[in-house]
Amino acid sequence: MTWLSTGSRASHGSRSSDIVRLGELTVVVSEFLQFTVAGLKSGAIYSLVALGFTIVFAATGAINFAQGEFFMLGGMIGVWLVNLGLPLPFAVVLAVVLTACIGAAFEFLAVRRIGDGDPLRIIMVTIGGSVLFRQAALHVFGPDEVPLAPFTRGSSIMVLGAAIERQTLWIWAITLVAVAALFVLYRKTAFGKAMRATALRREAARLVGIDTSLMVTVSFALAAALGALAGLVVAPLTQTAFDVGAGIGVKGFAAAILGGLGNPVAAVGGGLVLGFLESMTAGYINPLYKDAVALVVLLGVLFVKPEGLFGGTGREKV
Amino acid sequence: MTRGRLVRITVPVVVAALVAALPFVVTDRFLLKIFTYAGLNAIVVIGLSFLFGYGGQVSLGHAAFCGLGAYTCANLTATLHLPWLVALAVAGAIAAVGGLLLALPSLRLKGHYLAMATLGFGELMNLAFVEAVPLTHGVDGFTRIPPPSIGSLVLKSPAQLYWLVWAVAGVALLLAANMVSLRPGRAMRAMHGSELGAMACGVDLVGVKVRAFVVSATMAGLSGALYASAIGFVSPKLFSVTISVGFLAMAVIGGSNSLVGPVLAAIALTLVQYLDALVPGISREAAQIVQAWEPDVYGLLIVVVVLFAPGGIGALWRRKRAGEAS
Repeated sequence: MTWLSTGSRASHGSRSSDIVRLGELTVVVSEFLQFTVAGLKSGAIYSLVALGFTIVFAATGAINFAQGEFFMLGGMIGVWLVNLGLPLPFAVVLAVVLTACIGAAFEFLAVRRIGDGDPLRIIMVTIGGSVLFRQAALHVFGPDEVPLAPFTRGSSIMVLGAAIERQTLWIWAITLVAVAALFVLYRKTAFGKAMRATALRREAARLVGIDTSLMVTVSFALAAALGALAGLVVAPLTQTAFDVGAGIGVKGFAAAILGGLGNPVAAVGGGLVLGFLESMTAGYINPLYKDAVALVVLLGVLFVKPEGLFGGTGREKV
Repeated sequence: MTRGRLVRITVPVVVAALVAALPFVVTDRFLLKIFTYAGLNAIVVIGLSFLFGYGGQVSLGHAAFCGLGAYTCANLTATLHLPWLVALAVAGAIAAVGGLLLALPSLRLKGHYLAMATLGFGELMNLAFVEAVPLTHGVDGFTRIPPPSIGSLVLKSPAQLYWLVWAVAGVALLLAANMVSLRPGRAMRAMHGSELGAMACGVDLVGVKVRAFVVSATMAGLSGALYASAIGFVSPKLFSVTISVGFLAMAVIGGSNSLVGPVLAAIALTLVQYLDALVPGISREAAQIVQAWEPDVYGLLIVVVVLFAPGGIGALWRRKRAGEAS
């Protein structure tokens, strides 16, 4: 916050003040850019986690409280595979695949067993599941924070005075590719159309011959893969540990609900907006409040407009 | 019928007498403290079961209400030197206000949205407990909270604190049992079944939900206040979302539409944490393993109970009673 105090003292009225002001302006601009870069970096991560929430919500009508644990599992499994000697790219891909399998298995073994599909029971099972995932990671990988190597080495890239780490570019690129791939899957392939049909009206989808149970399992696998991808791509910047899932889960959900649950485009938008808000709060108000932003957004949206920024209203029937 | 009536009166009296007699049998200070912890958890879980097991409203933020009560009580007695009973009453009232605030979104939200809202509330309150250092002393914790006192009588011995906590638990159980068996309880159960259906039958959903949240939060707040003054020390870790999940686990394992089941679950799950002190001769390593795997037990029990025995302990109890009746 030092620039704030120098800014207020700027009007001394001397000849050199114009130059001082220009210098301050560039500092202000580059600082704003730096905060924006940081915001869009975490925003992209929140988008991926939010997409996971949205995909499962669309398929089952319930919130998967274990979504954050997929983020954790992705990072932890990736680090573990690298330590086993696997090259980083293979470790990343394999960690995503393994986490997707865990997500599918979780759906198949636990969530599907809730015959009546009561959302309350699905919530409870995913809460219990998230505890088990976290504990499993603790027992297998240990309690320590572990690092992952950056995807490419090299110094940060300077843009208008703002430093962009190379890993941040990876985050954006991978988020973009993931969102594009999801778009193609949902819009252009028969399988994606079957998934959308299942989300829209499960009974009707089944009547036209869609294997709706398979679609739900695939939704969990996709959500887990997206979470794992987010956990992997951010791990070089933040490190990772067995207990990071709960925090990122709440933030990802805040992003999903900010956009409007069940809408993939809105989930991405919500994630970016949330990351931006967080970064601006930390930069211009107080870094202490950074973690509170997502919670305030979450409660605020739930209090005022639970259908989200981009959502419509729905009616419930008995 | 008369025999059933007799059983219904004598069994609670005998159980209450047994609970009250425990300090005469168990004289070890630490053991009594463990049973006091069980009572404190039972108070929270009675309130949570009232809300969740009967009303069908999930809360992942109940530890935050305990924290509200605990820090209120700590500040009023340690810093402002107010009488303990006054502090207890204010602690309950502040938790009640918290419950009221959290009830507001619940009027529009249900199921998963509500669960997330209460989770967000719990996380936010925990951040506040860590950061509001002047009121909470931050992560270091609030120390030297005066023990409970009524007039000139100061309750200090482990047995006195045990009796105090379990007396409050007994009153909470009686109150909750009365509420669920009367009209408000029937309204809550109707709401649990189908909100629209209950509304169509003339149930005032707003009133029922707000009342359930307030009652439940007050009980949690009182438990927190009792904890603060009975143990003398509180820190934010005690009021984290992990603890809230533990409370919910107790309520789920205890079973919906039951109060006795959740109390039994609260006692059992509390005692498991202190296995090393309870089972003489158990090795230190074994006790540590049990403690390290305790969350696993919670998680697994939640999943197993929800999947295979949705009624929890309470349903087993009822089934047995139904079997005896027929």
